[in-house]
Amino acid sequence: MLEIKDLRVSYGSDVILNGLDLELADGETLAIIGESGTGKTTLGMSIMRLAEARVQGSIRFKGQELLSLSEREMQAIRWNRIAMVFQNVNNVLNPVYSIIDQVAEPMTEHKLRKKGEARARAAELLAQFGLPQKRFSAYPHQLSGGEQQRALLAMALANDPDLLILDEPLSSLDVTTREELCALLEEIDGHRAKLVITHDLDTASRLSEKLAVLYGGRIIEIGPTREVLRQPRHPYTRALVRAYPNMTTVKDLQGIKGRMNRLVSGCPFHPRCTQAVEQCSREIPPLARSLGRWVACHRGGIVTLLSVADLSKSFDSLKAVDSVSLHIEAGETLALVGQSGSGKTTLAKIIIGLHPPSGGTVHLEDKRVERRGKDFYKRVQMIFQNPGESLSHRLSVLELVMEPMEVQEIGTKEQRRQKAARTIEEVELPQTEAFLNTYPHHLSGGELQRVAIARALVLDPELLIADEPTAFLDASVAAKILKLLLNLQERRGLSLLYITHDIAAARKVSDRIAVMLEGRIIEEGPSNEIVTAPRQAYTRRLLSSASALHDFDNTSISH
Amino acid sequence: MHVSLKKEIKQSYIGQAGLIILLLVVALAVLAPFLSQYNPVQQSAASLLSPSPSHWLGTNQVGQDIWSQLLYGARTSLLVGFGVGILGVVLGIIFGVSAALIGGLYDRIVMRIVDAFIVIPMIVVVILVAAYIRPDLAVLILLLALLSWQGAARVIRAQALSLKEMGHINASRTFGASRFYLAWRHIVPDLGPILLVEFIYGVRRAVFIEAGLAFLGIGDPMLVSWGTMMHDAMKFSYLNVWQWWLVPAGVALSLTIIGLTFVSHAAESVLDPRLRGGAVA
Repeated sequence: MLEIKDLRVSYGSDVILNGLDLELADGETLAIIGESGTGKTTLGMSIMRLAEARVQGSIRFKGQELLSLSEREMQAIRWNRIAMVFQNVNNVLNPVYSIIDQVAEPMTEHKLRKKGEARARAAELLAQFGLPQKRFSAYPHQLSGGEQQRALLAMALANDPDLLILDEPLSSLDVTTREELCALLEEIDGHRAKLVITHDLDTASRLSEKLAVLYGGRIIEIGPTREVLRQPRHPYTRALVRAYPNMTTVKDLQGIKGRMNRLVSGCPFHPRCTQAVEQCSREIPPLARSLGRWVACHRGGIVTLLSVADLSKSFDSLKAVDSVSLHIEAGETLALVGQSGSGKTTLAKIIIGLHPPSGGTVHLEDKRVERRGKDFYKRVQMIFQNPGESLSHRLSVLELVMEPMEVQEIGTKEQRRQKAARTIEEVELPQTEAFLNTYPHHLSGGELQRVAIARALVLDPELLIADEPTAFLDASVAAKILKLLLNLQERRGLSLLYITHDIAAARKVSDRIAVMLEGRIIEEGPSNEIVTAPRQAYTRRLLSSASALHDFDNTSISH
Repeated sequence: MHVSLKKEIKQSYIGQAGLIILLLVVALAVLAPFLSQYNPVQQSAASLLSPSPSHWLGTNQVGQDIWSQLLYGARTSLLVGFGVGILGVVLGIIFGVSAALIGGLYDRIVMRIVDAFIVIPMIVVVILVAAYIRPDLAVLILLLALLSWQGAARVIRAQALSLKEMGHINASRTFGASRFYLAWRHIVPDLGPILLVEFIYGVRRAVFIEAGLAFLGIGDPMLVSWGTMMHDAMKFSYLNVWQWWLVPAGVALSLTIIGLTFVSHAAESVLDPRLRGGAVA
């Protein structure tokens, strides 16, 4: 029904939309999401031919090219066949007409109905959208925001358009009104093709079947709404989901590093992307099919950084790790949860190469890992359960942080020193001469763990395996360490394999949780699903025995 | 293990006594030219003189000054002792640490060689070889070192095996460290006290064997050595020269060995906390 091809819109030299392709079938609802400034509204305005900008490309509506229509021809389509609810409620309604007159206006204007009929239809629509009858003849300023929004929705539907464009239809409303209006819209208008433009993931998920993510004037991911939100494939989409406060995901909120900049060559997201490669700054990635989704990314969406298959380890007759398979994506946290003795640490040590496996394979990106050399350890690092033990008592803080670079033979001594100092700052440790020359036995547990983290980070690894990194710390320090890891993930795109017995901590830092018992992964999935709807009895037991401050939480989870 | 070796030895009376004796012997050896005006290998007076103000311990059968021989003999003993001690520990580190880190077949081969050497009575081999090749000082040191690193290697391997599993070594491995780096930067420094004890064992054994060989007349006859002195003095035991010829050499040798034993005893208590007294720092 609606077919947009290579749409380019610019205000002066400011390119807002840069080669956008989109299709919308009859009766389909599509949500366009993205941060403010990505060109969402411009898209809606361009379809309505209301954008005061240079518009190139093609917008075909039921086979008709909108961009080549005359203004008069366009007027026949606007409101009649394509209607739009605008973002800024206050400026849209005319303050000198009553609400019911304004809703009736499009019908009389286009001479679809006589005045009386039009008013009757308007009243019907307003009632459907839940506006009380006594408010029909009120003036816009007498209505609340929610009521104005109802009126606008009624107005947009007055001429029974084929396509409805909703630009941030509900974002200024409170959540209960928003929910009510979503339901009403669904009920009254479920069959109509809709384009929902919003930055609000909740609205998008309620109103749309399909979801397109807009960034830097291009669509970077498109797919079924539920799937896109549950398992984003583009790094930007994932970052957007992580930054959105909601009741579904359990991980702490994370922002997106950097700011949006329109003047970038290549992939618009690459300066903020944590998995960008050289190609990303040169070429614009086309929207391509990737695992049942359309994703515009040179790397085919979020990369699977590490995968292990059928990994086993036996100590004599004991199967410490029993054919474990799992994978970790770039920039995500996978929590490995289980009681002590479940084989978590053994698994970590196999991955990092401290234990030879009895069977199975480890892949780093697409390459099978056999002998682990310096290049492997440059990308994968581990922090150990007991930081005191992992630091040699004979080396000072500075020497400890410089050691990895010394091993890897990176840079000159002075460069190593500077890099070590920067990393020490990054893990929020003091950089005074006195501190750099301190020996580990003079440091507190939290400081030791930070030094250990700095040692692991100084090589700029892509994957950090953290084995109970907070086991020896009290809660306030532990919280800071976990926050630090999350911040590093946001800034550097670090992937984390977070090993813990504490599912309460795991849910706050992980995207996915894998539950381990007696050497096997018994359950694995998005963190929120594992904590709210565990399938295994053992997981339920872990949850019910996890720390809670009130009985209420436990009972609500365990049933 | 955060124990100061220096402190540990200082706190032990035996260790202190041993150190004083050793320092005394070293001082005698170093200051020999100032403490005696005679060259130990040149005839300085008539043969077999009794002690006198010019020759404190008299002269031997060819008229060499015995006091001077005693002083320069300390040099030989210490040179052989420290030379063998250092070489033995170095070989022990090379084979012990590499066996622990490389493991597998290499480890087994090295350890079987070590076992083989340990069952062969070293003293017999040394006597036979020395009698055959008549080694000079350097060759003697080499020979003794080659025959004495095995014990050290075994102890060092055992310790390195346990060190290898420690957190900071594992951490270093996960930075991509080579075995050489691990050995050099982490394991050898951590072996500290063990190396000292093994070194002193080596020194003591070498001092003893060198003296023994010379006493048996197998050593280099031109070498000034306490063993040679005793060997020569024995031939004149029917005279009363043993009082100032045989006894001082014997006492000097015994004192040196006692000093080494005392120091190693104190050093060992560092390794085994059960041997330590109540005053644990």
